[in-house]
Amino acid sequence: MKNRNIRENMPTIAKYIVLALIAGYVALLMMNVSGSRKPFEEISAAVSGVLDMEILTEQDAQALKRNFGLNSSDYEGVLYYASDSSMSAEEVLLILVREDSQIRQVTDALEERVESRLGDFEGYAPEQVKILEDARQSVRGKYIFFAVSEDAQRYLEMFADSL
Amino acid sequence: MLFSSITFLFFFLPVVLVLYYLIPAKGKNIVLLLASLLFYAWGEPVYVILMILSICLNYFCGRELQEREDDPRGARRSVIFAVAANLLILGFFKYYGFLLNTVSALLSVDIPYRELPLPIGISFYTFQAMSYILDIYWKKAQPQKNILYFALYICMFPQLIAGPIVRYADIERQLTQRKFSVRKIGQGSRFFIMGLAKKVILANTAGAVFEQISASPASSLSVMTAWIGCICYAFQIYFDFSGYSDMAVGLGKMFGFEFRKNFDYPYTASSITDFWRRWHISLSSWFREYVYIPLGGNRCSPARNILNLMIVWSLTGMWHGAAWNFVVWGIYYGIILVMEKYVWGVFVEVLPKAAAHIYTGVLVLVGWVFFFSPSLGYAVRYLLAMFGAGAGFADARGGFLLITNWLLLILAVLCSTRAGIILFRRALGLARGKKARMAVETAAYMALFFISVAFLVTDTFNPFLYFRF
Repeated sequence: MKNRNIRENMPTIAKYIVLALIAGYVALLMMNVSGSRKPFEEISAAVSGVLDMEILTEQDAQALKRNFGLNSSDYEGVLYYASDSSMSAEEVLLILVREDSQIRQVTDALEERVESRLGDFEGYAPEQVKILEDARQSVRGKYIFFAVSEDAQRYLEMFADSL
Repeated sequence: MLFSSITFLFFFLPVVLVLYYLIPAKGKNIVLLLASLLFYAWGEPVYVILMILSICLNYFCGRELQEREDDPRGARRSVIFAVAANLLILGFFKYYGFLLNTVSALLSVDIPYRELPLPIGISFYTFQAMSYILDIYWKKAQPQKNILYFALYICMFPQLIAGPIVRYADIERQLTQRKFSVRKIGQGSRFFIMGLAKKVILANTAGAVFEQISASPASSLSVMTAWIGCICYAFQIYFDFSGYSDMAVGLGKMFGFEFRKNFDYPYTASSITDFWRRWHISLSSWFREYVYIPLGGNRCSPARNILNLMIVWSLTGMWHGAAWNFVVWGIYYGIILVMEKYVWGVFVEVLPKAAAHIYTGVLVLVGWVFFFSPSLGYAVRYLLAMFGAGAGFADARGGFLLITNWLLLILAVLCSTRAGIILFRRALGLARGKKARMAVETAAYMALFFISVAFLVTDTFNPFLYFRF
């Protein structure tokens, strides 16, 4: 009788366990994947505040188009810093997309950019190849962050904290 | 992963098909399930876990309903719990930002919140899960004992991302018994190629024209340009979504499944009621089966019937997206359908055919303006431009667009009516003899496939419009 009761109640117990797992999973998502409704100016100010301005300088829409093939007017906000030296691969890009469907377009462009830069530096600038291989990329909601730098991890953390 | 991607066409699909047909019957569902999970995880590596948890939740809710089949009150509690849990998950991912924005606007305070991207296909698979629960509760289907088979029903890759929404009762038997044949694979391939061509040749090309027009401020558009833009969007969304549905039906056939058709030449409809019998049929029938009829349908007073219709159409609008323009779009159709039923439907029925098509076409095009607009304000401005309050009646830009896209527009009109398929079949029929006809047909489909691939290679990333729902 007791066994039968347990068997009958198994689906009920299991559904509550799954529901608890869903709640926990959503909490994890909120902590690690969620984006922010904060204005772009606030996030970009926080990110640009920690960048090494001796190496990086702010770039314009033409540079974004040239290097990533992206039109800055397609997005809600763009912050792009890169080194002016042709011997350095350092760059930091922050984009706020208008629609979720643009995320893929941007992440594809980032992937292509890394590949193309690896092609540029491979064979003669191993330290630049290393930072390209360790490039940091993060998609949080509609924000996309990308950094190629020795400090990429620190920049990424600043971006995550600013959300 | 997109059906219209090189990775899917030349790697994923051939590998899965070969594995599927090499493996004995018992293992086919497992192969298809694993392929479906991989297909979803390819684009949504984070949310595949959410889908698996949703599968588990609904599976156990179904089993609980089975345990309580002799206890109506307990079963009722269980079904309410299951439906509420599904709606809560869907509501959280799809509507909570919209809700907070609305509250912020009403209270004039800024409520900051963290937002999550919308899991692809969540509206489709949640509706399928609810169909399973309700079909069991209403004893239209038996609970699935094998969780892997149930998981396959929820996440089968051909229809996972953008439908058609398959009702559990329709597919229950096919999960364990379905027929495979070379003929069926051939039929499926034809559906798939036709859908692919609709998407990459017609939808994407019409979409490029629409994008070009909608990038300009609505007030700068002439009547001519605004209508061309709206017509191009109407063709884009039709060929995009019906193309996807054709591909889904075709893939289903290749794996031995039969899905119901989702579109039936909706732009040839002679009234809005008729249009909704032909457009996104699986969604309309879901709402009819699980919302409209339980609310009382039309077996009630006219006042109650009108309320039922308005509830269903507001929900249909909301289902498409968490934004006021979708709500207005749903209510717009609700009002027209009520009017056709109770006020002017009898007059529409006696209209000459051409007039009935114009009446339907204009109302559908006006409806699309609410659908494609990023905000209600933009929709109003665009509508004003369509009716003369923009930059005059005609301009050089409108003329240029017409001259450069006349072929696209003719092709789109032909392919959105039966005329296109009749012409295609007649052309094939010119070949004499069965073998010759088969050879010509194969060559025609192969040509269509390679033209589509050529379009794909040169095109940018172009997801299906219904992915965002």
